[in-house]
Amino acid sequence: MDIKHSSPAVIPDHQPSAIEKLVAFLDERVGLKEMQAKMLNEPIPGGSRWAYVFGSILLFIFAMQALTGVLLMFYYVPTADHAYDSTQYIIHDVDYGWFLLSYHFWGSSAMVVCVVAHMSQVFLWGAYKKPRELLWLVGLALFGIVITFGFTGYLLPWDQRAFWATTVGVEILDKTPVIGDFIARFLKGGPTPGQMTLSRFFVLHVMILPAALMALAGLHLFLFRVAAPAGPYSGTKEEIKAKTDYFFPRQIWKDMVGMAFVFVGTCVLALWEPVVLLDQAAPDPGDYHPEPEWYFLFYFQLLRLKIFSGEFGQFLGAVALPVLFMILLVALPFFDKDPERNIFKRPIALISWIAIMVVIVLFTVASVINREFLD
Amino acid sequence: MVVKAVFAVLLLTMGLVQFEGRFGLAVIMLFISPVSVFSIPIIMALFGTHFGEGIGLEFLFWLSIPVDIWALGVVARTFFLERLRKEPPDGLGLAIWWRSALIGAFFVPLLWWIVSFVTDNAITASHSMAEMEAFRHLTDTGLPVAERIGLELTIWGSISSAVLAVLSLIGVSILGQIIRRMAEGSRPASENYQGLITRWDLMRVPADQGLLLTSLAGVGVVCSLMFWTILPVTTPHPHECCKKPDVEVEPVFKPSQSLNSTAQRVASLTAQIDALEQQQSDKKNQKAKSKGKAGGKTTEDSPAKAKP
Repeated sequence: MDIKHSSPAVIPDHQPSAIEKLVAFLDERVGLKEMQAKMLNEPIPGGSRWAYVFGSILLFIFAMQALTGVLLMFYYVPTADHAYDSTQYIIHDVDYGWFLLSYHFWGSSAMVVCVVAHMSQVFLWGAYKKPRELLWLVGLALFGIVITFGFTGYLLPWDQRAFWATTVGVEILDKTPVIGDFIARFLKGGPTPGQMTLSRFFVLHVMILPAALMALAGLHLFLFRVAAPAGPYSGTKEEIKAKTDYFFPRQIWKDMVGMAFVFVGTCVLALWEPVVLLDQAAPDPGDYHPEPEWYFLFYFQLLRLKIFSGEFGQFLGAVALPVLFMILLVALPFFDKDPERNIFKRPIALISWIAIMVVIVLFTVASVINREFLD
Repeated sequence: MVVKAVFAVLLLTMGLVQFEGRFGLAVIMLFISPVSVFSIPIIMALFGTHFGEGIGLEFLFWLSIPVDIWALGVVARTFFLERLRKEPPDGLGLAIWWRSALIGAFFVPLLWWIVSFVTDNAITASHSMAEMEAFRHLTDTGLPVAERIGLELTIWGSISSAVLAVLSLIGVSILGQIIRRMAEGSRPASENYQGLITRWDLMRVPADQGLLLTSLAGVGVVCSLMFWTILPVTTPHPHECCKKPDVEVEPVFKPSQSLNSTAQRVASLTAQIDALEQQQSDKKNQKAKSKGKAGGKTTEDSPAKAKP
């Protein structure tokens, strides 16, 4: 659309409306139209695709998590003797509190699913390769932040599930050589999880991590705009050129449909399985078998294997394997320098991705079956 | 998918539908409703399986029919123009929908039965394998639990997934054959590639964009209002296991009232004590007086008594 033709200054007898005057006022001072053009007129090689929606969906989920989180904070008390009661109060007494808490809970799961989907899309599309190495690295840092969000938020309701999942998680961190002891002591703030642990997890969850996520997400978007979208991995130059389109309106439409789908899906989960607390946190687990959130279950089950028992086995499973995996991911764009992006012409990448997904699914299901042996 | 999901949320909120444990499966079935619309009732009747309860589930499937016909029409026309480079025939969405629904009615229950049968047998076989002596000798106490679960799951999961993948591939290829036959009868598109792209692209953009945006925004507002109106204020699913404990609420502490009442109580107690003390001192005085009188009388009376 030509902006000049619709501008009130060009049409002689046109009296600008109040909104037009406001837009003109802001445009003169902020450069609104230029900003809008820069944001929306990003060319997408090969046109819009459903595969590209995950980044926008993640921003949407974060905004919703921030909104529901702030509303929950109006009632939540981050002290060891009131955290459980205030969460029960949110569930049972605050109007729509049960829904807000359940949406926040399932929203965190949606965020993890979408981060993994986004990373998988980038990996399968070969979009981490030159010149997008930094984009990939910042994305990995954001992945770490999302996982830490889930870990720190899990303790806040202060029930048996929260307490023991955190205890197990911190014990795993404790096994890291050199810095493990410091990290565990820093997080716990004492010999056993208590008030100091809750305070530290709360501060991390509501202040440090959101600030870090916003800063890194901004950097991620900046790097994305500098490097430009990678586009499809297959198709001739002629085909890609014919389909090339701007970000607005088609990709925005697809993003909005994706966001609506995630929003509705999260609502369905909140309605179908609302959050229910177990007994208040206590140093005795009783009949409860400690278990982390579902997206960590595969790793939890993996650590139950005999190979990961004993001093060395625990170090291998709890520290060496995940650190090695993260190092591999960080180094990926620097050792995979082949410009070929088509996933069907990168058999090692395809097999590795399938193997990782199979391991995750297999051990998650195994962990669910394992519950029968514990009860 | 989103249209169907929005209705699923509203029906869940109204309590007209309650998905059962096979939630994921029910959702997938709902989203692939062109092939599951007839097959789900057949599976439920033949195998006694339930995906959910309530009138809402039935309503969702009825509602899915026009949505699916429209969605299949858009996707199929795009496919014909972009991939096959052929003119899409009229009524393509409906033609594909009824064919896929009919095939689904026969094929999906068959797939359900075969996969269930294979999975059940594979689980039994993997159990037996894990209990074999060869594995028992691996360690002193037999195969550890985590390893055993992993091994069994890998065995029956691989067999079951392979069968499911092969049967799904057959089902998709049957649908592909139908679409291919329909494509054989249609004439090639006359435009060049760029022209075809523009055509299928414009198919997705409505003639009156303003009207579409206004109606979409209107529907969104109505759905949001409906959702917040019917959403229960307190949790609709208070689980039996984890009910909120009944706690007696203590009366609100009001310092000034409490101080006043304490002062009053102290004053009344002081008055009571004063009264008691007064009473006691009165008694003492009376006793002393009566003692004195009695003493006087004796002294006065005794000589008289002694005199005679």
